[in-house]
Amino acid sequence: MASIKFENIKKIYEPDNVVVKDFSLNIEDGEFVVLVGPSGCGKSTLLRMIAGLETPTEGNILIDDQIVNTIAPKDRNVAMVFQNYALYPHMSVFDNLAFGLRLRKFNKVEIRERVHKAAEILKITSLLGRKPKQLSGGERQRIALGRAIVRDPSVFLFDEPLSNLDAKLRVHMRAEIKKLHQQLKTTMVYVTHDQVEAMTIGDRIIILNDGIIQQIGTPLNVYKNPANIFVAGFIGSPPMNFITGEISNNVFSFDNLNMKLTKAMVHESDKGTKKMVVGIRPEDISFSKKGLDYKLIFEEQLGNESLIYIKVGDQNLVVRVAQDNPGPHNENNKISLNMLKACFFDPKIGNRINIINTD
Amino acid sequence: MSKINKIIGYLILLLGALTFLFPFIWMASATLKPEIEITQLNLIPSKITFESYKSVFQKIPIIRAFINSLFVTSAITSSVLIFSSMVGYALARLRFKGQKVIFNLILFTMMIPFQITLIPTYILIVKFGWVNTYQGLIVPGMISAFAIVLFRQYFKSIPEDLLDAARIDGCHEISILFRVIWPNSLPALATVGIITFLTTWNEVLWPLIIIRDQQLMTMPQMVTLFSIGGSAEAQQGVILASAMLLAIPIVTLYLFFQRYIIESMVSSGIKG
Repeated sequence: MASIKFENIKKIYEPDNVVVKDFSLNIEDGEFVVLVGPSGCGKSTLLRMIAGLETPTEGNILIDDQIVNTIAPKDRNVAMVFQNYALYPHMSVFDNLAFGLRLRKFNKVEIRERVHKAAEILKITSLLGRKPKQLSGGERQRIALGRAIVRDPSVFLFDEPLSNLDAKLRVHMRAEIKKLHQQLKTTMVYVTHDQVEAMTIGDRIIILNDGIIQQIGTPLNVYKNPANIFVAGFIGSPPMNFITGEISNNVFSFDNLNMKLTKAMVHESDKGTKKMVVGIRPEDISFSKKGLDYKLIFEEQLGNESLIYIKVGDQNLVVRVAQDNPGPHNENNKISLNMLKACFFDPKIGNRINIINTD
Repeated sequence: MSKINKIIGYLILLLGALTFLFPFIWMASATLKPEIEITQLNLIPSKITFESYKSVFQKIPIIRAFINSLFVTSAITSSVLIFSSMVGYALARLRFKGQKVIFNLILFTMMIPFQITLIPTYILIVKFGWVNTYQGLIVPGMISAFAIVLFRQYFKSIPEDLLDAARIDGCHEISILFRVIWPNSLPALATVGIITFLTTWNEVLWPLIIIRDQQLMTMPQMVTLFSIGGSAEAQQGVILASAMLLAIPIVTLYLFFQRYIIESMVSSGIKG
């Protein structure tokens, strides 16, 4: 059990490739935190810094309030699960699990006990005698998890552990990891580029881009209240629709279309005309008798719901509707945007602009 | 048509194989012939005799030379495997200043023929007082640029995550090398091991320069001195028998490691 603290971490690879810029974060003891962002955003580098595989160029990393910048990986009591499993190909599953314990001079009886206990948790007891190459991808990932569990570490680190698995197995393993966290209650830090994985697995998610934290929050909070255009576009599948236009006197206009905003929605600095990006989730658009004209482009049927791709003015929008909703096909129908749930962004810097709700 | 082509192909191969094999087979049979028959080209001796071998054992301490050769070759081979893989690992996997310069320097030493460094090395060995010692034979061969380069290339192909996993599991760099990398680099170890063993076993020039005491001589050195030095008293059978004894360990090695030897020749582009 351990808390982790990043203090103004900076990581520069030679000569001026800045991967992480001034990163500070507190991870509580027993928390499950997910670092998510597109590739190259610095999330894996941060994870490797916790493990001790990279050293920060500036700043401190603290595990349990102790600075660990110069402590070797083996002395940090962390365990890591890698994307490509990183099992020792020449060792049996048992030896793979026992390797770390042997290096730490555990006695044989305890090694056997710990390995069998971990194998039971992960249901891999029958595989203990095999070599990694005789196992499927899912089994290998379980072994990699087992290797982390036997050590009873104070921090678990996951570096995109499910990326090499097929979609079905990924969903399954996701639940297994979540269950494991509930069972062990150890601090876990999980890195992924997959926002769905991040949303489903973490207590708290940290969205990174270009080495900078974009937002920290619970999955639902981040989804409902994105801090900027990047987060709004990154979290959610399909992503939020963005419409660029102008707001003037409580009317949002774009592509010669006008939408009256409800009185409740008065922009805090609404003086005169202002350029604005309005973001609206696919589920917050509906088909109704009143509203804006649209052109149906195509439709994706997912079984329980459908994604309708439409064009309004020059804007391409995605709408999420229930499978049996006849709305999109009714020629008299229009679309209406639930502006109460919309997000407003500054088009220049991309930050969210707060709306004073005077209801 | 293709059948005829195949037959012609095999005939050519057979001819080639015979061309290479004939001298060896002839030598093997000649060592079993009475001295008087040796100059003839026939392969079957009229009477099989071990006289030639007997006199080799009587005239020179060939068993002692065999043990010397085995000791020197094993010592050099194992130290080349250990030290060259350590350097190869550092060059492939660790990050430090001057890494590229060091690697280029090592590559450069491969361009210099052995004959050029022969004299300076000899002078060094004389200064160390290692003439006529095992150290003199072993130490100059304890590390090899060729092996370093080969290990470096091979180790680069091992996934970094595997090494990171070992680091987190509790390994330091040396134990990563011997407990994780070595077991996963058997082809490279076999290649370096076999090539080092063969070249060291066959080395004549260096022992000739540095060893004068018959008790310390290696087998090729002793056989060479024996055949041209006059103690064979111009007896062809004895000379051939000593050459045969020299070849036996290598042939045995080949029989056991045939697959690895061929692979290593192919992968390293070096012929033995």
